[in-house]
Amino acid sequence: MGKYIVKSLLQMVPVLFLISAIVFVLVHVTGDPVNLMLPETATEEDRAVLSKALGLDRPLYIQFGLFLYNAVQGDFGHSFHYGQSALPLVLERLPASFQLAGAGMLIATLLAIPLGIISALKRNTYLDLFISGLSALGKGMPNFWTGIMLILLFSVILGIFPVSGKGGPEHLVLPAITLGAGIAAQMTRLIRASMLEILNQEYIRTARSKGLLETIVIFKHALRNGLIPVVTIMGLQFTSLIGGTLVTETVFSWPGLGQLLVSAVNTHDMSIVQAAVFVIAIIVLAVNLLTDIVYRYLDPRIKYS
Amino acid sequence: MKRWYVQGFAVIIAVMLVVTGCGNAAETTNETQTNGGTASAPAGGDKTTLTIANATDIESFDTHNNNNTMSEAVLVNVFDYLLKNDAEQNKVPVLATSWEQVNDTTWRLKLRDDVKFHNGDPFTAADVKFSLERVAKDSTLKQNTYYKHIKEVNIIDDYTVDIVTETPDPIMLNRLSRMGAGILPSKYIEENGIEAFLKAPVGTGPYKFSKWTKDDRIELVKNADYFGGTPKWENVVFRSIPEASTRVSELLTGGVDIAAGVPSTDIARIDGVDGLSVEQAKIQRVLHIIMRMTEGSITADPKVREAIELAIDNQVIIDSIAGGAGIPTRTSVTPGNFGSDPSLYDTFVYDQERARALLKEAGYENGAKVSFSSAVQYKEVAEVVAAMLTDVGFEVNLEILEASSFSEKLNSKKFNELFLLGVGNSLFDASNNYNRFKKENAAGETDYNNPEVEELLQSALQNMDLADREKQYQKVQQQFTVDRPTIYLYQMKGIYGIGAGIGYTPRLDEMYYAEDITLK
Repeated sequence: MGKYIVKSLLQMVPVLFLISAIVFVLVHVTGDPVNLMLPETATEEDRAVLSKALGLDRPLYIQFGLFLYNAVQGDFGHSFHYGQSALPLVLERLPASFQLAGAGMLIATLLAIPLGIISALKRNTYLDLFISGLSALGKGMPNFWTGIMLILLFSVILGIFPVSGKGGPEHLVLPAITLGAGIAAQMTRLIRASMLEILNQEYIRTARSKGLLETIVIFKHALRNGLIPVVTIMGLQFTSLIGGTLVTETVFSWPGLGQLLVSAVNTHDMSIVQAAVFVIAIIVLAVNLLTDIVYRYLDPRIKYS
Repeated sequence: MKRWYVQGFAVIIAVMLVVTGCGNAAETTNETQTNGGTASAPAGGDKTTLTIANATDIESFDTHNNNNTMSEAVLVNVFDYLLKNDAEQNKVPVLATSWEQVNDTTWRLKLRDDVKFHNGDPFTAADVKFSLERVAKDSTLKQNTYYKHIKEVNIIDDYTVDIVTETPDPIMLNRLSRMGAGILPSKYIEENGIEAFLKAPVGTGPYKFSKWTKDDRIELVKNADYFGGTPKWENVVFRSIPEASTRVSELLTGGVDIAAGVPSTDIARIDGVDGLSVEQAKIQRVLHIIMRMTEGSITADPKVREAIELAIDNQVIIDSIAGGAGIPTRTSVTPGNFGSDPSLYDTFVYDQERARALLKEAGYENGAKVSFSSAVQYKEVAEVVAAMLTDVGFEVNLEILEASSFSEKLNSKKFNELFLLGVGNSLFDASNNYNRFKKENAAGETDYNNPEVEELLQSALQNMDLADREKQYQKVQQQFTVDRPTIYLYQMKGIYGIGAGIGYTPRLDEMYYAEDITLK
């Protein structure tokens, strides 16, 4: 086990190196930050001076070497935009991103599990059709629209929740619903399909023929197996939500990683982009590793080499 | 059976992950708390807090290293200039009490002797020297281009300085009263470094820094020791709300007192609510259509350029796209700026027939192909312009670009015949409007080259005879209506939603001086 963890950790090094290299090249070939930093009235000479001062006039491989040298020491350079070290700027966004992603996942799970089960049990009834319709709607509504509508209803008309910004838990409700609705829709359909498949399995028939209570059959025998794909989806969704919730963040003015990353891409704030992608990559790799370890620990039949 | 536990455990892990995420967030949110300021109560309660919503966050608290009006609009409450513009663009004293020109290259300023920075350090001539020399000498600072001709700042005594420039500078006072000229605490920065300063900024202004949650809000608290008297508000909060409809919703629910950048389509939504109002105010930004005059390009022909100007009905664009929030103009030097020519303001020329005839005369009766580029920000305006040009016989290849690719092309001068550009002017001086048309800068972009205009522009840059200088710029503006290296669509207006009980008159320079915003 220890060997496996060490091996996995070592494997992360080339992955992170590759990601850094790809991001570095992409960021550097897609544009010059100097153009965006100076006023409209700046001259050619101003640009050359600033470019030199920022070290952007050096060959790309030298810049990359310097970047790597500093990055291994935890220094991703200075944000051109904020004039501060890039890594702390990225790290200070993580709590907000975790909060939003976590709350969104929570709402999605709370909605999807009962809806998915009901839908499977009552398949081909009006209730099932209604839930299927609901999830099609949930998947079909773009986040920005859902968000704006929720604000209009719950904040402007009913006055229950604050409109936007980060504050107490009440600030989290609307963005979490916005984010959760789409994921819930996807999960509901997944749970329905997976439950339907399991309900047709022989061991369910056996359980029923033994005379077990239907609730025990559903919750003890069917549901726990039916949740396997859901757990997979949850893991994938959670990592993709770290840094991937720009639309919701924008509508609710939520200060997460997504806003930082996209504005950094727009302003060619290279060090922020690199630090953010690096941090997100580490989170994804860590979550994957954690999942692997948990599976192995719990089910000895799973072997990793 | 075993698999149940696997799944069960995995679910627990997932839930724990979520919970830890939330827990961490509450504990470790990176908030720099300084100067004893406490977080403010939400607006709308006891009304000691003023909350203003902008579309973007500030760049940083470094007034020398920002290049955006919205940043400076916030920072003017924390930092002071030596002098500033009042609402009518008159220069009024702030940290300086008086100023005089000693000779063509030297300005002498007397400073207040009763000012303290927020950390208690006294404000002296050393801070002026430090601040102005910093922005003048450090070429990596974004505002350096406006101050690099300052040679040195000499301390005459603790409360007197001489600002010495390399060349005569007729607009030194304009420079000293705009972004980039904020006075920073020299001792504090020298002792702690600029990065520490940016995390816990200290100025002399009426409000002190309390907290900045990036892309969310900036919280300022009253500076009870302010030299100009006790400030009006206990707390001033600047929210960053990128989505326009969310800003409006915040205004409707009392979450904010002032919302900037209200879409024209939302005006009725605000006007319909008791107590709320909408203010439109001119801002320092004029939409240009800049034309390439390079030999061989179709717009090198003056008749084609004239046809373009005549083909466009500026008022229709203002009414249909900007919701009426604009004033047509034939100059970018609008009233309130030094050198403006009122005869070219609030007017436009429009004559479709003449435009068609001109195209024919120029030999393009079978269609004149032009390409026209615009940033996505002005997409609708560009589309209407393109339609108007098509109407008189142009074949327009419209190119709409994302902001960053637009800047990229702009700065590498790669646009073809026409491009649409909104140009601001924080200097309030005509010199700023014509930088890009000076021969050196125009090369490769418009390739505009009129020796007479060039001489006027070069001379005006250092002309200390202000009356004569004004005439020079007025001549340039008249000549531009003939040469047309650019034509103008309109001066833009800002649309602000204003909450119940708030007295606010938006300024031409878009600054939010919280001290000028009152409770009605």
